[in-house]
Amino acid sequence: MPSQSDASPPSQEPAWYLDMPPERRAAAKAHAALLAQTADRIARELPFAADVDDFRRVLVQEATS
Amino acid sequence: MTDLAHLSARGLAKAIRDKQVSSVEATKAAIERLKACHELTHSIITLEADEALSAAKAADAALADASAKGPLAGVPLAHKDMFDRKGKIASWGAKIHPVTPAPADATAIARFKAAGALQLAALHLAEFAYGPTGHNYVLGHARNPWDPTRITGGSSAGTAAAVAYGAIPAGLGSDTGGSLRLPAACCGVTSIKPTWGRISRAGAMPLAPALDTVGVIARHVEDLALTLGFLAGPDARDPAASSVAVPDYVAHLRDPVKGLRIGVDETVVAEAHPQVQRMVEGVTNILVQLGLTRGRCAFPDWQTLDHLVQLVQLPDASSPHSVFLRTRPFDYGPQVRARAEVGHFISAVDHLTALRARGMFLKRTLEQTFKDVDIAILPILADPLPTIAELDVSGGPQVQAAMGRVVKYTRPINYLGLPTLTLPIPRDGGLPNGIQLIGRPYAEAQLLAIGQAYQHEVPPEIARPLKL
Repeated sequence: MPSQSDASPPSQEPAWYLDMPPERRAAAKAHAALLAQTADRIARELPFAADVDDFRRVLVQEATS
Repeated sequence: MTDLAHLSARGLAKAIRDKQVSSVEATKAAIERLKACHELTHSIITLEADEALSAAKAADAALADASAKGPLAGVPLAHKDMFDRKGKIASWGAKIHPVTPAPADATAIARFKAAGALQLAALHLAEFAYGPTGHNYVLGHARNPWDPTRITGGSSAGTAAAVAYGAIPAGLGSDTGGSLRLPAACCGVTSIKPTWGRISRAGAMPLAPALDTVGVIARHVEDLALTLGFLAGPDARDPAASSVAVPDYVAHLRDPVKGLRIGVDETVVAEAHPQVQRMVEGVTNILVQLGLTRGRCAFPDWQTLDHLVQLVQLPDASSPHSVFLRTRPFDYGPQVRARAEVGHFISAVDHLTALRARGMFLKRTLEQTFKDVDIAILPILADPLPTIAELDVSGGPQVQAAMGRVVKYTRPINYLGLPTLTLPIPRDGGLPNGIQLIGRPYAEAQLLAIGQAYQHEVPPEIARPLKL
């Protein structure tokens, strides 16, 4: 029977709830970190007002232009 | 009359209407071809021969009393096994799938039925449509009809193999990162991945809804035009389904293509294998001979697009699996399990940044990439057709890199939501491959007109194992 502390999620570990071997967990973290660099770079050039519906707005504009 | 296997769906429908062949005869012949195709390619998940023959008898009766409706009345087809069909359970190519029969048809299936088409079988796909090669570690891998040691491409593997073999003239697939284009290219046939939202996704298994696009694989471009015409359009069941008017794509097949401008992004194409670069050059030359004008274009930084689409896709695809990854992890094949896990490591902020940036990148692409060209051409596969063994990476540490190389030229286009037409290269006796023509949003009619002209020069083929 695990103790309460054993059953608690490691506070700093993302996706702690997935049963993953260490090497796959490390590979997933590394891949996410690579993509995060791009997200950070794009976030710096993205207008503050950009929103997720802009994509559909551009599609509609194209259809009506 | 012509061998039924060589007919387009449109041609077969006409033959049935003109009483040159009955729907029952066409269906029996298609069943035999599909069985033979399955032996070679492992393309069938469920064969529904008796039901199809009953439907064919009903179609013949309706044709006899002139009550048959639809442009594909009595034509036997088969589709990727990820669409709801009333009273049936779709396999999704996985151990985890619905446990009760679907209460209604997916919209795309319903529209095929309304067009008069029959369904013979449910066809192979990558597990959860989450794989670009045709590997499926739950069902077994699909094999290419031109060379069974080679990949079919995925995820719409069974549809492409059956169409290439001549078992069926056309069938449904879907494309989230290349799943219509890759199998069409690998099997040497055509496909249309329409503009995101052009065809309703209602009743289709979701993979990554922000990117999921329903489309068609066929040998003949005219079948892409015919089917897109009745599949496209608004749907109350899918709020993302576009209400933009649907043109008569078949009528537009005869539109002149002379003077249209085709753009080549030489920087992006240069990242492909030299043999693939020569394929792009060869197809571009054919299109120039048809009257298109060659120009240059430049997509936004390709690696940035590739990262952004992953930031959208990985969490989008992981979310539906989050419970099952915890409760039934061993019911996943190793590759999908490894890929579905990665999405849990992407931050919500990064995911939303990629979604918020999508409109900006689409606008930039339309204003810059398509500033001086009407369409762009890119490879589909970065490399010559790989073997099944070469890409049998399962869920190992190289899975992201290996799969990333396979979808290098396809998944960034899903981020932009642009329509693409797959055209097979002239084989000259060798293995198949294909290129993609990319258009502006809702420019499917233009792409299809170019494809129709191209098929006058590079006619559709039936796949049989090559003696290389």
